[in-house]
Order: sequence, then C-alpha cells, then structure tokens
Amino acid sequence: MDLSYFIFLSSGLFLGWSLGANDAANVFGTAVGTKMVRFRTAAVISSFFLILGAVYSGGGTTETLTELGNVNALPGAFMVALSAAASVYWMIKGGLPVSTSQAIVGAIIGWNFYSGKATDLSIVSKIVSTWVICPVLAGILATLIYFLVRSLIKYSKIHLIRQDLYTRIGLIVAGAFGAYALGANNIANVMGVFVDSAPFQTLKIGQLTFSPEQVLFFIGGLAVSSGIFSYSHKIIKTIGNGLMRMSPIVAWIVVVSQSLVLYLFASEKLEAFLLANNLPALPLVPVSSSQAVIGAIIGIGLAKGGRSISWNILGHIALGWIFTPIMAALLCFISLFFLENVFNQVVYLP
Amino acid sequence: MFHIKVSMFARTKSLENKIDLFHDKIIDAAMTFKKAIRVFLSEKRSEAYRKLSKQIKTIEHDADALRRDIENKLYIQNLIPDLRGDVLHLVENLDKIVNKFDEVTYKFYIEQPDIPAEYHSRVIELCEQVSDCAENMAIASRAFFRDFSTVRDYSQKVYFIEHESDLTSGRMLEAIFDSDLPLANKLQMDLLITEVADIADIAEDCVDELLIFTIKRDI
Repeated sequence: MDLSYFIFLSSGLFLGWSLGANDAANVFGTAVGTKMVRFRTAAVISSFFLILGAVYSGGGTTETLTELGNVNALPGAFMVALSAAASVYWMIKGGLPVSTSQAIVGAIIGWNFYSGKATDLSIVSKIVSTWVICPVLAGILATLIYFLVRSLIKYSKIHLIRQDLYTRIGLIVAGAFGAYALGANNIANVMGVFVDSAPFQTLKIGQLTFSPEQVLFFIGGLAVSSGIFSYSHKIIKTIGNGLMRMSPIVAWIVVVSQSLVLYLFASEKLEAFLLANNLPALPLVPVSSSQAVIGAIIGIGLAKGGRSISWNILGHIALGWIFTPIMAALLCFISLFFLENVFNQVVYLP
Repeated sequence: MFHIKVSMFARTKSLENKIDLFHDKIIDAAMTFKKAIRVFLSEKRSEAYRKLSKQIKTIEHDADALRRDIENKLYIQNLIPDLRGDVLHLVENLDKIVNKFDEVTYKFYIEQPDIPAEYHSRVIELCEQVSDCAENMAIASRAFFRDFSTVRDYSQKVYFIEHESDLTSGRMLEAIFDSDLPLANKLQMDLLITEVADIADIAEDCVDELLIFTIKRDI
C-alpha cells in the first residue's frame, strides 16, 4: 500500500479527530458533565458504537456526498478535507455552532468549481433543506419526548433514587445509539471524499466481510475515537459547566432526539422500509449533531414556556449555514490552485 | 454484567427503603410525642412517661443513623448529582424536627413543669398541632421522592397548621401571664411552650425549602 495515500488521508483523519473531539461531546457531554456517567465509560462506549455505525451504516450519506461531487483525485480529496477541517476550526474559534457536514459540502462545491464539474443544484437544495429540517425535527421530537417523559414520571410515581438509576441506564443506551447514529451519519464527512481513491481490498475476518469502503470507514472511525479520547473531555467540561445546564433527564431527551434525527438521515434500511410502504423518506445526508442538539434544547425550552431560550443562538445557527460552506468552498478553491500550481499535484481527473 | 445490574437495583431498593424508614421515624416521633405529653399531664414523671421519653430518644438515634447512612450512600454511590445537595439539606432539616421532639420530651422529664389543669387541654391542642405539622411535613417530603405533584397539597397543610399552632401558643401564653401563677412558673411554661411551638416553625422552614427543591425536581 502506498504511503502517500496515508499522507493525503491525514487531512481526513484530522477532520475525523476534530469530529470526535467536538461532536462526541454532544452525545455524552451532559451525562459526563452532570457526573451521571464517567468519562472513561462514555469514551469507550461512544468509540465502539461510533465505529460500528460508521462501518455498517456509513454508506448511505457517502453516496449523497459523492452525487454532489465525485472527488476523483487523492490530492484533491486531501485538500477538500483539509479545507473543511480548517473552516470548522475557524468557525469554532468564532463561537459558532459549526458543522463538519456543512464544511465538507462547501469544500466539495469548491472542488467542483475548481475542476469545472457541474454542481447538481437539486442535490445542493436537498442537502441544504436537511440542514434546516434537522434542528426543527430534533426540536419537535424533543418536545414530544419531553411531554411523554413528564407524564410518565407524574403517573408512574417512580422513586427519585430509582429514577436516577433509570436515567443513568437511559443515558448510556441513548449515548451508545447516539454514537452509532453519529458514526453512520457523519463518517461520510470525514472519509467520503477518499472513497474513490481508497487502495484497500475486501477484508474477510471469519464470517464477516468488509468492503474497501468499510475498511476506510473503520480507519476514519479510529480517528474519530482518538478525538474522543484525547480532547472531547475539554469540550464536555464546557458543556457540563454552562452552555447547556439541564437536568439529567432533559439531557437524555436531548441525546435521544438528536440520535433519532441523525439516524433518520443515515439509515438506508429505514429509507428502504419507508419507500416500500409508500411513506415519505428523509434523504440520506450528513447533518450537524451540534445543530440537532440546539434544536432539541430549543424544543424543550419552548415546551417549558420559552423563558429560558436564548434566541441569539438561532441567528448563530443560520450564520453557520451560510458562512461555513462559503468559507470552506473559497478556502478549498484557493488551496486547490496552490496545490496544483505550486506543488504540482493532480487535484482532479478530467 | 447481569450481576452488576442486579446489585445496582438491589442497592437502589435498599436506599429507597432507608429513605422511607427515615420518614417513618418522623411520624413515629410525632405520634409518640403526642402520647407522651398526654401521659405527662395526667401522671407527671411516671414510669410510663420515662418509657415514652426513652422511646423518642431511640427514634431520634435511629433517625440519626439513617440520615448518616442516606448521606453516605448518596455521596459514595454518586447518586442524583443534580439534586443531591437539596436532598441532603432536606434530610438534615427533617432530622432537626425529630431532635426537637426528643429535646422537648426530655425537658418535660427533667424540669417537671407544674402545669395547672385549666391549661391541659390547650397544651394537648398545641402538641397535637405541632405533631400534625411534623407528620404532614414528613408526608410532603415523602411525596417529593415519589409523587412530587402532591408536595404542594401537604405543604399547604403544614402552613395552615403552623399558623394555628402560633395562635394556640399565643393565646396560651397570654392566659398564663394574665394568671396569678408565680413568675418563675410563668417563665418556665413560657420557655416550654415556645420550645413546643418551635417544632411547627422548623417544619414550616423545611416546607419553604422543599417547595423550592420541588420546582428544581420537575424536569
């Protein structure tokens, strides 16, 4: 296997690392911040389920990104992922609830422009519409679950101590599901652009067979895990200490809603089931877990009467929708120029 | 794994039982106190009163042990991290009510106040009111753990009965100081009546905090 492949893959791995550091905190952040679950437990569970989700269900969203722009040269894929990672980094610095999904879409469009390939506007509108639907849907789901859980607690009269135990178990299960959904939905952001140039072969371990794409997603999953173990505790501290102060039960509702939304936008099986039953299916698109979390929190805030909502954050999300892809596209376009003309790399195949 | 889950459920069940037992102790102390004062008024420092006084002391010891156990378990097992401070505060305040029952009963035992017969019915009325107050406080607190939507109902009862006990003690003190009893006797009764009325005041303070904790308890 060519060593240069791994050098070019490094930008994707870096993006994976930042996804693990940033987005995994959405899954287990409050559980760890409120001391309901230990960090080590959260890190092990989320890493395992994230890799599982990436390897087994990561294909659906990757297809959509490939339809948007089939990045067909390895140096080009390197720059697309690097531009996305840099945009994410700068947007985080700017304090915006940033999304790797929006960054990678912008970077791919930047590559399309640079390589002169047409960008399918119907795919773009499909993707952009999911960015809006994602927090709205998370908000609706969170509101419904909030009322359901509230009634359940009221009528079941569970003892506070037992409720604490159930909440802990719930947080671990929801966190595992959330990590699976995150892996399934977001691995395309990290590794999607490298699929075409992946040099791997089909891998057989016992009864299990892994396609080259799955091997690539496994490597991406490992990068995400390294982000979880090495840096997510710092993000978790921020979440636990102020940004999202909430009770452990509300934290559970937020994680469940976010995970369901991510899963709805990632599961090929669910899509096939809905289509087979003549039901409307959601497109398989990588969405932002951070924005799903914010949507869920706003939903619960509205259900509680809307007093504790900071409406500025909605403006921040909208700014993220606009600025992240534009910044990533511009950065990618300019960087591709330098990579091709200064470093003499082939960034696209005609 | 199965074993871990079973032991987690067993530990939870054990702590739930301890919290329930702790509330039982407050109700036990209140009931025994009512009985003890009736016995004191009719028999003074009799063997029966000594036994009831000892019984309240035992209840107080048991409540202390349960309180420590509950507090330790909440910390050691890292339970209800968001509400732990509130629950510890609540348990400590409830324990103060039991302590006060013990303190008052013991004071009657040591000081043997001479209470004229015309005040007996008022003393009994006051003691029943403060006991009811404590009982309702215990029920409100128990509801906080299981059915927090009813906390407000019992809290309202505590407020009402505490107000009634204030009126009863005020009327009684007025009557005592208007009487021809020796001043030393008047002052001794004043101190004891104030001590008894304090039980309802402590219960009222507990309820004030409990209502705040209940707002936080709602998800």
